[in-house]
Amino acid sequence: MLEAINLRKSYGDHEALQGLNLKVNAGDIYCLLGANGAGKTTTINLFLNFVEPTSGTARVNGVDVTQNPLETKRYLAYIPEQVMLYGNLTAIENLEYFARLGGHAGYSAADYRSFLDRVGLQANAANLRVRTYSKGMRQKVGVAIALAKQAKALLLDEPTSGLDPKASNEFSALLLQLRNDGAAILMATHDLFRAKETGNRIGIMKSGRLVQELSTDEVSHADVERIYLEHMH
Amino acid sequence: MYRLIVMHETRALARTGALWAILALLIFAIAFAAWSGGRSVSRQVKGASDAASYEAAMRDRMRTETAEYEAKVEATGGPYEFATVRHAPGQGPPQGTNAGAVGGETAVYVALPPTGLAALSIGLSDIQLDYLPITMGKSLAMTANAELENPVNLLAGSFDVAFVVIFLLPIFILAMTYDLLSSEQERGTLAMILAHPVSLRKLMASKLMARAAIILMVVTGLGLVAVLTVGTQLETPETWLRFGLWIIATLVYSMFWFALAVLVNLYGQSSATNGTILAGAWLILVVIIPTLISLVATTVYPVPSRMDLTVAAREAQSAAEKNMDKSLNAFYAEHLEYVPAGDQRAMDFMTLGQASANTIEKALSPLYAGFQVRRDQQQGLVQRFQYLSPAVMMQLALNEIAGTSGQRYEDFLQQAVAFRAEWNDYFAERFLRQDPLRPADYDSFPVFRYRPEAFSTVLLRLAPSLLGLLVLLLGVAMVPFFGIRRYQVAAR
Repeated sequence: MLEAINLRKSYGDHEALQGLNLKVNAGDIYCLLGANGAGKTTTINLFLNFVEPTSGTARVNGVDVTQNPLETKRYLAYIPEQVMLYGNLTAIENLEYFARLGGHAGYSAADYRSFLDRVGLQANAANLRVRTYSKGMRQKVGVAIALAKQAKALLLDEPTSGLDPKASNEFSALLLQLRNDGAAILMATHDLFRAKETGNRIGIMKSGRLVQELSTDEVSHADVERIYLEHMH
Repeated sequence: MYRLIVMHETRALARTGALWAILALLIFAIAFAAWSGGRSVSRQVKGASDAASYEAAMRDRMRTETAEYEAKVEATGGPYEFATVRHAPGQGPPQGTNAGAVGGETAVYVALPPTGLAALSIGLSDIQLDYLPITMGKSLAMTANAELENPVNLLAGSFDVAFVVIFLLPIFILAMTYDLLSSEQERGTLAMILAHPVSLRKLMASKLMARAAIILMVVTGLGLVAVLTVGTQLETPETWLRFGLWIIATLVYSMFWFALAVLVNLYGQSSATNGTILAGAWLILVVIIPTLISLVATTVYPVPSRMDLTVAAREAQSAAEKNMDKSLNAFYAEHLEYVPAGDQRAMDFMTLGQASANTIEKALSPLYAGFQVRRDQQQGLVQRFQYLSPAVMMQLALNEIAGTSGQRYEDFLQQAVAFRAEWNDYFAERFLRQDPLRPADYDSFPVFRYRPEAFSTVLLRLAPSLLGLLVLLLGVAMVPFFGIRRYQVAAR
């Protein structure tokens, strides 16, 4: 579903990404680990066509991102570190706007409410302006947008950093639901525990390279941390 | 998709206090400006008609006396005579028979009729008198520029709708658009939106459309209300043609500011930086360049002060009075046909006055000519350098549209000068021949009829400013139109 082929991105002399090859299939939760500046966010931005690759190809659902950016965005949902919404609109209004932008105009008010129910947003919050929301609530709306958009692939950039353990746990549960529905999920994260717990595959990045890939069912929590730290030294 | 984003933007804008504050200010400013413009025009029209009817009443009184005198002459069979100036009041023929008294002591007013849209742009009409008294003897230029400099008005102009459109509207537009893209970037919503199948171009165009629609509907709507309330001659198609041009000019000028905001936003700076750059652009384009152009015009082509003119006129007057006898001789040397049969010393005071006025006019005419040349040169310089600032182009365009431009006034002055010669000749001849006026002659006095300029002349004069604005708009809009592809959504 998500595929990077020899993907490179350099900013002047600095090579942010040095030939990345990566494949995330439907039903995968692929966790990208690595220090800040390792190239995780650059990878996600390349899939979103927010930056142009220096060379190589990024594909979403088999479609080249740079050639058909608008088509690839029909399949994508993006949840950044902070899901940013329009503060003076309610959750329902935000959700409706983004759903329509994604080309889904047919939902009823009840549908929007049920998306917000599914992600566990308190019923009385749905009609409040999101200016008042906590980060956990906004991340939930982000997932509701992905649900409404019927996204085939999700790009998550440190979505749980700063969330309390309970909110983080709820968020992981939502990701598992989405995966079970057949989505391909690529998540950049610093949370080794969540990566092992939620993901089924892990990629460790260092200085713009993917240095190791793991399957989570073959390693323990301790192994993940040990391998990660080995690469970081 | 456009519709969706436009609706969303409108809803988001409607929920901010800023939009309502801006609209309230805009409505208040235009309403006040229209009221003030309307008052200024009606004051001018009223002033002209008051002055004209005052003078007409004086002439009517003279005519009545003349008619009574004529009836008396017919009844008693005496001769119908010319009243000399040094006559005993109540005896002999009334003043109304003296062409010099009628033509020289009563004035006829020539007026430049305001166009239907004059209230929208007062222009310089507060220092260029729209109605001028025409009398025999006194040269027109002395009265045309009788108004002394009013530094406040000369500097700031008046608070009319043109001022609101040229100075304030850009501020309101920039207040709504300076962070068009940077706010979404800073809030993080830009990335959220562009993760959806929407191009940046479509997003920007829609955001712009939402704002432009609000502002321009309000401005043109208020413009229409202003025309309906303080405009005149609403039944003539010319008024509506002019209003159509007013709307075109306002749209082009506004779109320039919108385009400038988009252009600055595409360089990916922070909202604060964009705001500063745009405020600077406003200051340079709307305040500094026009001031510089005006400064250059007055420095390179300094007009002799109107005060100097008045002083010089007085000096010439007293010199002429000192040399009255000499100038009288000079005058008779030039006009032998007017030398009366009798003794020269029997000539009355009015003849001397006529002679000295001629001398003064001759003495001052180089000064007036110089004044006129300088003003033409200044206007020419402003015309040439208008392309440096959209505000100057817009001011010239709006003045032309409202019929308060310098050129229209110049054309009126020429008509007035020609009429003054006609008026002067009519009375001077009758007076110097001591040909008594009869009541019936009062109907054949020269009458001033303003010849309006052809609309094509107006359009021709308007074209450089309007086309200049259009070219500027296209130039500024072109850069974002082609440059938007290179915008990087994600900062490194």
